[in-house]
Amino acid sequence: MPLPLQPGIFQAAVEPMQVDGAPEENDNVEEEPQYTVENPSLDLEQYTTQYTGLARLNRLMFIADHCPALRVEALRMALNYVMTTFNTNMYGVIHRKLQEAVSASSSLPDAVAGSVHSVPPLDVPWMETTAKKAAFKLEKLDTDLKNYKSNSIKESIRRGHDDLGDHYLDCGDLSNALKCYSRARDYCTNPKHVVNMCLNVIKVSVYLQNWSHVLSYVNKAESTPETEQSAKEANLTVQSRLKCAAGLADLATRKYKSAAKHFLQASFDHCDFPELLSPSNVATYGALCALASFDRQELQTNVITSSSFKQFLELEPQLRDIIHNFYESKYASCLNLLVEIKDNLLLDLYLAPHVSALYTQIRNRALCQYFSPYLSADMHKMANAFNTTVSALEDELMQLILDGQINARIDSHNKILYAKDIDQRSSTFEKALAIGREYQRRTKALVLRSAVLKNQIHVKSPPREGGQGGEMSIAPGSASSARN
Amino acid sequence: MAAALEQYVTTVQTLSNQGNYTTLVEFIAKNMDMLGKNAAHLDNVLATLDYQQHSIGVLGILVIKYSVPNITDFETLFVQTQEFVTSCNGEQVRYAPDNFAELCHKFASQLVERKQPTRGLAILTQAIQKIQLHPAQLTSIHSDLCQLCLLSKNMKPALRILDADITEISREGGHYDAKDFLLYFYYGGMIYTALKNYSRALYFFEMAVTTPSMAVSHIMMEAYKKFILVALIVQGKIPTLPKYAPQVVPRYIKPLCQAYHDLANAYGTNNPAEVRTAVTKHTETFTRDNNMGLVKQCVTSMYKKNIQRLTKTFLTLSLTDMANRVQLSGPREAEKYVLHMIEDGEIFATINQKDGMVRFHDNPEKYNSSSMLLELDKEMQKCMKMDEKLREMDREIAVNPQYVQKVSGAHDEDMPASTSKNQGF
Repeated sequence: MPLPLQPGIFQAAVEPMQVDGAPEENDNVEEEPQYTVENPSLDLEQYTTQYTGLARLNRLMFIADHCPALRVEALRMALNYVMTTFNTNMYGVIHRKLQEAVSASSSLPDAVAGSVHSVPPLDVPWMETTAKKAAFKLEKLDTDLKNYKSNSIKESIRRGHDDLGDHYLDCGDLSNALKCYSRARDYCTNPKHVVNMCLNVIKVSVYLQNWSHVLSYVNKAESTPETEQSAKEANLTVQSRLKCAAGLADLATRKYKSAAKHFLQASFDHCDFPELLSPSNVATYGALCALASFDRQELQTNVITSSSFKQFLELEPQLRDIIHNFYESKYASCLNLLVEIKDNLLLDLYLAPHVSALYTQIRNRALCQYFSPYLSADMHKMANAFNTTVSALEDELMQLILDGQINARIDSHNKILYAKDIDQRSSTFEKALAIGREYQRRTKALVLRSAVLKNQIHVKSPPREGGQGGEMSIAPGSASSARN
Repeated sequence: MAAALEQYVTTVQTLSNQGNYTTLVEFIAKNMDMLGKNAAHLDNVLATLDYQQHSIGVLGILVIKYSVPNITDFETLFVQTQEFVTSCNGEQVRYAPDNFAELCHKFASQLVERKQPTRGLAILTQAIQKIQLHPAQLTSIHSDLCQLCLLSKNMKPALRILDADITEISREGGHYDAKDFLLYFYYGGMIYTALKNYSRALYFFEMAVTTPSMAVSHIMMEAYKKFILVALIVQGKIPTLPKYAPQVVPRYIKPLCQAYHDLANAYGTNNPAEVRTAVTKHTETFTRDNNMGLVKQCVTSMYKKNIQRLTKTFLTLSLTDMANRVQLSGPREAEKYVLHMIEDGEIFATINQKDGMVRFHDNPEKYNSSSMLLELDKEMQKCMKMDEKLREMDREIAVNPQYVQKVSGAHDEDMPASTSKNQGF
């Protein structure tokens, strides 16, 4: 797992007012801040059953890293689960972590969560046999594939690659799995296979957190002509799966609006891919992204009245309430509920890095919406509605005004927020004058430049002794003159 | 020896009287060596020539007199130069612009050496007027004048020539160099900076930085440093350079100005503490570059920018709050800043001293006064003039024989589609 494990800079309450921090360009090299969650209300047992394969392991590891209270339990579950796979490396890692965790918690007087203070011993024979089995299976699949290739039956070769990919995935060797799945591409004979291949690649890319890869394969799959025509049922599953993968990639790259749109297009009845996401994940991600990026109108039509998304929301009643409260302008309760579920959200592998950003956006949106019908607003009342102090509210509003999201000014003396009316005429004059000046400035520069070019004025390297031409080389001359 | 000088005098006199200036210029160029050898007797020769009628001949002699190492009697020479510049015939000296420029350069450098820059201001201003064809023409003497102005801390004389926008450059017989060009804009920018006309200064520095260039020039690098600082004061960020800016700027100059970029980045955060850290960190560099004063102004402007931002968000604000928000030491300092900014017209506000509140106003300018209309009209006239100038330049190109030939020639050659000919351009 690519999660860094540096012993942490403790950052319990993530500042809500830090609006869009530095946008990160590279999606998978994000340096996540270390934080810990103290009071989760998560039922691990139920939580884990929603996922299979690596998704379950990754999520459990993530929880273990960020939540000391659940660490031992999560690791224990992960350990049990990993035994069902060929992933011996992961087994070793989990086991080591578990040992550390148990030895750390056993210093406490009472057992946490009633866990027994014994670690199952490192199952060396299991590791050996599994490794052997894995190697054996790999060899078999490899020879199979060779046979297929010598017979050059396309369909079999494709299947061979897929099987090999599955096996690598089972062993936790993601890059090789990706390679095998991608190789199958040349042997796809019908659109269904192409889509299948894309789904495989997407799955592995999600594990690798290579989001641009995910998006490009989603596009590829969606542009495959057959997706619309094939059997309705299977097709819808594929569609939902693609939408969710795209949403996930958008979420990871901070494009919350398009993430929300993608999640909203998932179909509830066909939302079954435990190796990627659970339906309640879709609900959470979709709802939060929608709250953060949609305006009131869009929220109404796309989320609240959407029949398919309603079913998702039933899985997360708290979120449903939040959305309704938000829509009905009951911001205080909405924000309170959001705070309540924050701890759980922070334990979500994909959502955690975005929770604070999303929360800030939701809050800002709420502030804007609150003020939108008024010409002037009492900031004391407003602070009440948002559960905050007047001075904190003032800071938040200032930021929003500077960002141009609220068109208002603050009367700090009487603590009243006034909507600002812009004098169109004056601002037009101002703009015209500014543009006129800019035009003059640029034209002058151009006229001068044309004179410069006409006279062939340019800086060149000083002529060298030894009769070399002055203009010939750039690098040595400039380097020497730069260093002097 | 004396015969050679005598011959010089006669030739100068005859050719000047005939008005055959081109030949005269050539003759003098040939006789430079001879004059140099007879340096001791040149005063006598000067006495026989008339400044007004034989300007070119006198010019040649004066140039030689300046090129003697260790000038002994500078006072006489100064008077001679002064007299020459005042009374010489502009029409004549324009035949020898290279000599004239050289005379001015040497004159200026002598003054700089002797630390008497003020004495040259009037003379050089006059010299520029003599040699210029029109006020928008740039000569290499411009940079000398600017240098003297800066050294004598008397900026006014240069303003008149700096305020004219350059449309043409005097070639001075091919002697006009990129160095003169860069120096003019570098010094000009410094003069405007000293006078706190920052936007014009920014324009000058930008011109220096965007000069076509194949190698790194030190003038350009210093100009770039000042460009950043002035840009921070004016706009609060580094503006993007136009596309035609030379490649050397991003490639070689930028890495050498890291301290300045650090400062700009710190400035971009709007956080005074960070700016101060950046300044402390690079104090040595800034002091070495003699830019510390400008850097300090940047820090001040940062506070002002932050106060201006407050005017966008607040109608009223207490001075204490303001001091907290922009991280000033206390209400007293905040009041001082606000007061100065109101005086300078940078913000519109009133301070209520009774309860320590500042009330911000909108811009009182409603764009309906007659003076404002006049202002608008002036701006429009300027734009129209620029447009006219562009048209004129366009026309000039359109009727340029070379251009016409190239355009129509290309057309002809395209027809037979002969690849060999097309390689020509």
